[in-house]
Amino acid sequence: MQLSREQMLQAYRRMKIIREFEERLHIDIATGAIAGFTHLYCGQEAVAVGVCEHLDTDDKIVSTHRGHGHCLAKGCDVDGMMKEIWGSREGLCKGKGGSMHIADVDVGMLGANGIVGAGAPIAVGAALAAKLDGKGKVAITFSGDGACNQGTTFEAMNMAVVTKAPCIFVFENNHYSEHTGFEYAVGTQQDIASRAEAFGMKVWRADGTDFFAVHETMRELLDYVRAGNGPASVEFDTERFFGHFEGDPQRYRGEGELDRIRETRDCLKKFRQSVVSAKLLTDADLDTIDAEVLDQIEAAVVAARAAPRPTPEDVLADVYVAY
Amino acid sequence: MAKMMYRDAVRSTIFEAMERDERVVVLGEDVVGGMGTAGGPEAIGGIWSTSTGFYDAFGPDRVIDTPISESAIVGAAGGLALAGKKPIAELMFADFIGVSLDQIWNQIAKFRYMFGGKSTCPAIIRMAYGGGFNAAAQHSQSVHHFLTAMPGLKVVMPSTPEDVRGLLREALRGDDPVIFLEHKALYGVTGEVPDGDWTIPFGHARLTRAGQDLTLVATGLMVSRCEAAADALAKDGIGCDVIDLRTTSPMDEEAILDSVEVTGRLVVVDEAPQRCSLATDISALAAQKAFASLKAPIEMVCAPHSPVPFALELEQAYLPSAAKIEAAARKVLGYR
Amino acid sequence: MSKLRPFCMPKWGIEMTEGTIAEWMVGEGDRVKRGDTLCLIETAKITNEVEAENDCVILRVLAPAGQDVLPVGALLAVFGDDDVPAAEVDAFIAAFVPAEGGVGEAPVASGDKPAKPAAAPAAAPKKIATNRPISPEALALAEREGADLDAIEGSGRGGRITYQDVYQHLRPQAAPVLRGAAELAPEDLRIFASPLARRLAALHGVDLSGLTGTGPRGRISKHDVLAAVPAPASGGAAFVAVANTPRIAPFDKVRGVIAQRLTAAKRDIPHFYLRVAVDVDALLALRKTANLVLGIKASINDYLVLAAGKALARHPDVNVQLHGDAVHHFPHADIAVAVASPKGLVTPIVRQVDRMTLPQLAAATAAQIDKAKAGRLSWEDLDGGTFTISNLGMFGIDDFDAVINPPQGAILAVGRARREAVETADGGIDFATRISLTLSVDHRAIDGAAGAQFLATLKGLIEDPEQLFG
Repeated sequence: MQLSREQMLQAYRRMKIIREFEERLHIDIATGAIAGFTHLYCGQEAVAVGVCEHLDTDDKIVSTHRGHGHCLAKGCDVDGMMKEIWGSREGLCKGKGGSMHIADVDVGMLGANGIVGAGAPIAVGAALAAKLDGKGKVAITFSGDGACNQGTTFEAMNMAVVTKAPCIFVFENNHYSEHTGFEYAVGTQQDIASRAEAFGMKVWRADGTDFFAVHETMRELLDYVRAGNGPASVEFDTERFFGHFEGDPQRYRGEGELDRIRETRDCLKKFRQSVVSAKLLTDADLDTIDAEVLDQIEAAVVAARAAPRPTPEDVLADVYVAY
Repeated sequence: MAKMMYRDAVRSTIFEAMERDERVVVLGEDVVGGMGTAGGPEAIGGIWSTSTGFYDAFGPDRVIDTPISESAIVGAAGGLALAGKKPIAELMFADFIGVSLDQIWNQIAKFRYMFGGKSTCPAIIRMAYGGGFNAAAQHSQSVHHFLTAMPGLKVVMPSTPEDVRGLLREALRGDDPVIFLEHKALYGVTGEVPDGDWTIPFGHARLTRAGQDLTLVATGLMVSRCEAAADALAKDGIGCDVIDLRTTSPMDEEAILDSVEVTGRLVVVDEAPQRCSLATDISALAAQKAFASLKAPIEMVCAPHSPVPFALELEQAYLPSAAKIEAAARKVLGYR
Repeated sequence: MSKLRPFCMPKWGIEMTEGTIAEWMVGEGDRVKRGDTLCLIETAKITNEVEAENDCVILRVLAPAGQDVLPVGALLAVFGDDDVPAAEVDAFIAAFVPAEGGVGEAPVASGDKPAKPAAAPAAAPKKIATNRPISPEALALAEREGADLDAIEGSGRGGRITYQDVYQHLRPQAAPVLRGAAELAPEDLRIFASPLARRLAALHGVDLSGLTGTGPRGRISKHDVLAAVPAPASGGAAFVAVANTPRIAPFDKVRGVIAQRLTAAKRDIPHFYLRVAVDVDALLALRKTANLVLGIKASINDYLVLAAGKALARHPDVNVQLHGDAVHHFPHADIAVAVASPKGLVTPIVRQVDRMTLPQLAAATAAQIDKAKAGRLSWEDLDGGTFTISNLGMFGIDDFDAVINPPQGAILAVGRARREAVETADGGIDFATRISLTLSVDHRAIDGAAGAQFLATLKGLIEDPEQLFG
């Protein structure tokens, strides 16, 4: 299905925001300006954007420790996220959560998550709520090839099928669960989606570095789920440009592997090539966006650096609604 | 006598045990690292570098790199132990215990009791705990208090490389399940480790310094913070007993009570929030069994009743510090 | 008109706050005559008989004889002119509100003496109005003691002020007595011993490697070390220890009061001490003559008391009592003389010593000492005083420091007379009889110079005793 020019420009802008946001974090973390554990999504932008372009704020997503891309694609505020990662009290989570726990329920983003596999059952719950509301809304859990080995994920898949919850299991296979190869750790060789099939779900598979493949697959899948057919699953084959966490020496990578995936499997490069060669957009269109996005990220960092810091009194705020 | 880092004490002690006893098996996420990758195996050797070289020395049957499946890791350790092996499972972060809690709490801890004493389950579950790295609410927690509350488990919290060696050897020598808690901030700490075949019995606290005015009790990272506070207090002629409990189950009640009988003043330091914590447990012990010796109310220096926050300032405000310990000590000494 | 009369715990002297019924001489239903002994009441210092003020019937006894300490004003019994139904007595007891009165106030009736007016009730606790969260007990304590809530930080939830917060606020600040660091016993990894056991082993030179641990998990505990401390070597037959069982004597009331008052005095009064040696050769010589001439048996101590009385009259800034934030200066010297009685140390007072002649003083002192030894001192004998003299010379004590007897400002400790070599005017050596005087002074009320001047006057009076008869 052909996307409009505006849709394509918006998709590109969103992917570019994620990319530049992450590239900038990589630099600021290396200098020690940003504290904590950060896991970068860089390389997988086509999945987050290709999925979330179909959603409105009443559709829910549940994310992972590698959650920045999902947050930005779902519509979390760039400045608020940057401030959160910098630990400001004006951050999206008031400096309480940091990179691993960014959330904004107002845009249907139910949280990044520090526990591998914890998201899937939460998404089932959100899907059951959507089912109760009867407005055709869905809930989506993003899981990697690591989380697909957690019992919580298996339990969630079975429960979604049994309850016919409008829950979508998006498996982003970036080939590494932390530092361990997918081929070693996932017993159903070369394939995660077949597990969902075994649980009784309809399953799609697509190249996660191709935005249009992701977008089209999700269109079909969402039509199926929104029609009340119960849960569904999809596996996207994708690439992680950085380490498991910032500071990971990545000794498990093959010779020249990182250069190769940046060269041949970069979803932004592939997007530009396909739209320019098909004369849907021009390089100038995209260059303009690139420049604007760089300015936007720079402005976000400037704002985050200048944002007010939390005070010790903030520690006990928001533990409870009332106590 | 050798100088070594805390992490190396963990690694070398397990390595020696694996050489000596072929029943010892190691399992966990990335304990080998790089399995199924172009650069692996042995790319990581544990994300804390506590199993480097194991795979090459002992092979895949004794060094089991697992998927991210904590319940299966712990459960498998339980099964290995019931079947006569000596498994050492690594959970990476103590926070992930939630995923595997049933296997720890309802299975491993209770096997021997439920089976009428006819079995042993000598599983050692290692995990890194504690704050100080801005790792936020799900990667910074202390879990010793609720594990200590579970009958059937032994809970160990070494604070020095020497204690790592002595306590890990003791855990391997015993036949009970042991939770072995390693503080993230201690992995890089260096200390002297004596040569020879010695162990540190469980329930045997270490007095890091002796004094007659105040008792400070702590575990893990908090011991060094108590030491810093005691240094500051010593400048005013205040003598502190600093007790490093080493293990919280069994706990060296005698060392605490003996000390409080001498000093009459107690400050307990605990990295976890105070409610239902080790600090309240020790305070209750002193209130019950050393009531007549107390010259002032017991003070507890703990985290507030909140999850661990992310931002630098918030985490600093959250964690007990030498300054907070010193202030609590002065409050106790100033009691009227 | 009610024919019922309450009988309450009397108040003898301003310091009495409570008492105990030692013994009832009458029982319920007895008819007693005016002047009959009703009961014995024991207070902190004395035991007194209580006599019936009117003919009456003992209708109800509420306080049995024994150990219950009751506050002044507590209802002890109900008397009536005649028998009345029990229900009426019950109603009377239920409606009774204790006031600080004396022996049951007789209703004004024909033939009766007018009743003593009731003492004013104790000042009610001052109500505190506050919006701060505070526990009821804490508020009651704060009101009772007049605590300033603004100065108290609440330690309870949401800053609530607890009883302990108020209690701690009211306690006087005392710096802790620090004992500092201690030697850290080295830990031998091969020996399993508790930290304190290692400390004790180092202290007593016990070799831990030879011990069997009886502590948890076979650990050597402090008991194991102490059991191994070698007994001191003895010559000849080994010494066999026998049980050293104490005879436990719980404080009686007097001992309890002595303990409480002296503890408070030693803790709260900033004592300082002035010492002087006094030549008493002249006094000893004069005493023989004077006692013969006057026909009395005045002791050396009597002379000293008289001298002190005269010196106090000249130094009213030493003849003082301290009450709270006020110093009370007295024109006359009421001197308490410490006497060892069967019930412990008592200090009966000889009043207005400065106005007495030596025979008057000797008689008054002898009478007080006799009463003290017989345990018959009354409140009037013990209440107040502006100065105390404590003499332990008869026990061979050279000199000592006495504890001030509050509210008095000072106490004089007198040692034995002893012969000392002294330098004569021409540089030779002679012997003199001397007594050590130590004046303990409450620095809050009396300054060093004032105490020293008083002591100089006293020394002058003793060394030139003719002045005592001036």
